[in-house]
Amino acid sequence: MRWTRALDRKVVYRFESGLEIRLHNLLAGIGLMLVALILAALAVETGATSTGMTDLLQNIFGSGLSDDQAYALWTVRLPRLLMAFLAGWCVAISGAILQSIARNPLADPGLFGLSQGSMTTILLLMVLAPAAPKILVAGAAMAGGLCVALLLIWLVGGERSSGLAIMLMGIAMETVLSSTNTLMLLYTPSEVSMGLSQWLAGSLFQSSWSLIATFLPAFGLSFAGIFLWGRALSTYDLGNEMAMALGEPLGRSRPLILIFAVFLNAAAVTAVGPLTFLGVLAPHIAGFLSPASGRARLLLSGLVGGILVIGADTVARRLAGDLPLPIGLSLTIIGVPLFILALRLQALSRKHKH
Amino acid sequence: MRLLPFLTALFVASAALADDQTVTDDAGRSVTVPEHPQRIVVMHEPLLGLPLIDLGVNLTGSYGRNDDGSFSTKLDFIDVVFGKGVEKPKGIGPFGQIDLERLRALDPDLIIGSELDIDSVDQLSTVAPTYLQNVSTGKTRGIDIERDLAKLVGREDAFDDRMKTYRARLESVRNSLSESLEGKTYLAIFLTDQINAVGEMSGAVQALEDLGYKRLALDEQGNGSGMGSTLIVPLSTEALGRLEPDLLVVMNSYMSDNREEAGSRQALDKILPGWENFLKPAREGQVLFLDSAKVTSPTVASALHTLDAFEKWSKTSSQ
Repeated sequence: MRWTRALDRKVVYRFESGLEIRLHNLLAGIGLMLVALILAALAVETGATSTGMTDLLQNIFGSGLSDDQAYALWTVRLPRLLMAFLAGWCVAISGAILQSIARNPLADPGLFGLSQGSMTTILLLMVLAPAAPKILVAGAAMAGGLCVALLLIWLVGGERSSGLAIMLMGIAMETVLSSTNTLMLLYTPSEVSMGLSQWLAGSLFQSSWSLIATFLPAFGLSFAGIFLWGRALSTYDLGNEMAMALGEPLGRSRPLILIFAVFLNAAAVTAVGPLTFLGVLAPHIAGFLSPASGRARLLLSGLVGGILVIGADTVARRLAGDLPLPIGLSLTIIGVPLFILALRLQALSRKHKH
Repeated sequence: MRLLPFLTALFVASAALADDQTVTDDAGRSVTVPEHPQRIVVMHEPLLGLPLIDLGVNLTGSYGRNDDGSFSTKLDFIDVVFGKGVEKPKGIGPFGQIDLERLRALDPDLIIGSELDIDSVDQLSTVAPTYLQNVSTGKTRGIDIERDLAKLVGREDAFDDRMKTYRARLESVRNSLSESLEGKTYLAIFLTDQINAVGEMSGAVQALEDLGYKRLALDEQGNGSGMGSTLIVPLSTEALGRLEPDLLVVMNSYMSDNREEAGSRQALDKILPGWENFLKPAREGQVLFLDSAKVTSPTVASALHTLDAFEKWSKTSSQ
């Protein structure tokens, strides 16, 4: 384990096992974790009941809470906070993976039709079996996203397909599935369509410890996926030919990586609904904060995704008052200005260099 | 001496348990609720809150209310149906964002939702027992919701009193009519930016059918039944032209500033120009205009408003 310099003169920390991390990525990761903790503390302070971080810490170290405080902290705020982070993490990583595979910075689970595929199967399940258990809903979401992904791979023609072809075909699939979903919403009974409409706008209302328990395997597997395929994705960023020249078996690894992205996105869609644009926002903001590739890029994107969802939810709850502001909308309101700022600063920085 | 507080606590606890009842709600869930709940929160004010207010219940909370007592939408149904002066319930967060902490702060002993809240019921149940009552047309009729809720909250006596008042009023309106209405058909339409057929649930439907009118069967004409909708189902202008009810009941949108006859005529003119010339009930002077906000809640109060409007109209049209 030692500090060295890479070819571009950046400081790198190399482990015995061969793993390495650049200093600026490490610092960005630590900084983002601190931001996540600060936002989490703010989220824990937000709510109608007078309680917050101090009470929570005292409770963890043995001090008692009133029933109202315990309910607010342990039943409402903490599950909501954790669910926001986990969902944001998964969608952001899914988006970052898709951008590498498609070699297109606009790639997003929503834009590829993966979210819509999940929504279509969930809608079908809700119509056919309204009382279906959550695990079946998750399975349906996974199956829907997977069908779209496999269809996408088949339609664009395997390993030699270009990123642009995947992108265009994804947009076509997304359009068809969105129309199908709207049609189904119109014809489902109102009790089904009302619930679905709320979920389609994105909602953290259902956050509970049991939901988090069902979501945790997806979160755990995200680390396994990052470790397994993170390095391969950095070769994808260089283009298909270069990736193959570097020994990456595209025909085998691309479907597996795509399935992994679908899995992460489907898990998040099932839990909180589609988080529109987050798959694009988070990797770009992460890239602006600390340019990275491979595993580091995925980890930083995940952190930014989690932070954005916690931030959006906290701001909505603190500032919106009696104004209805679903998480999908507040995420756009918070995330898009950050996205524009990041892109503008990047553009100015490039201009300055030249 | 330590036994005394224990026994007292045991007595209080068993008394509290004795006051509970286990019921099956309309979603088929088994729920243990107080026999006489004192602090009720409703998840749909017009369809669940108004029937309870009609029974004399002071609502603790209502989904859609703001903290200052105002309603999130333009129209305050409590003021329109019962007049000013009724105590307003507190809010539990804006539409689409139920605030569980605000809900718990109200300390409810019963939450009443509708089948539309099936997705939220697990979370609501962390605060208080949650009962789901069907409110959609096809699942409930007339003012059945008020009857069901009276039984749920132990207010059957209040409901019987309201029904006595209603039956007396119904009898007096019937007696004032020159002919029997038995077997005559009616069609109630609700104007938004299109024409909609009013479903089977509302005080207006109850009153019209108790007067003797029979609902014009839309299914026989190849139209939708409105199953699943809480109040209305779209009806094409062509279909309306072909239907020939003995009485056409017209209601303008809640959102309109003018829900009386002039405003309703104006709205119908825009959607179906010349309707007065070709619709059979219009040619025969059998069009009754009702204030949608007053008559569409599933309450005895709405049924009484309908009878008042009908009596006024029948006297005018017979002159």
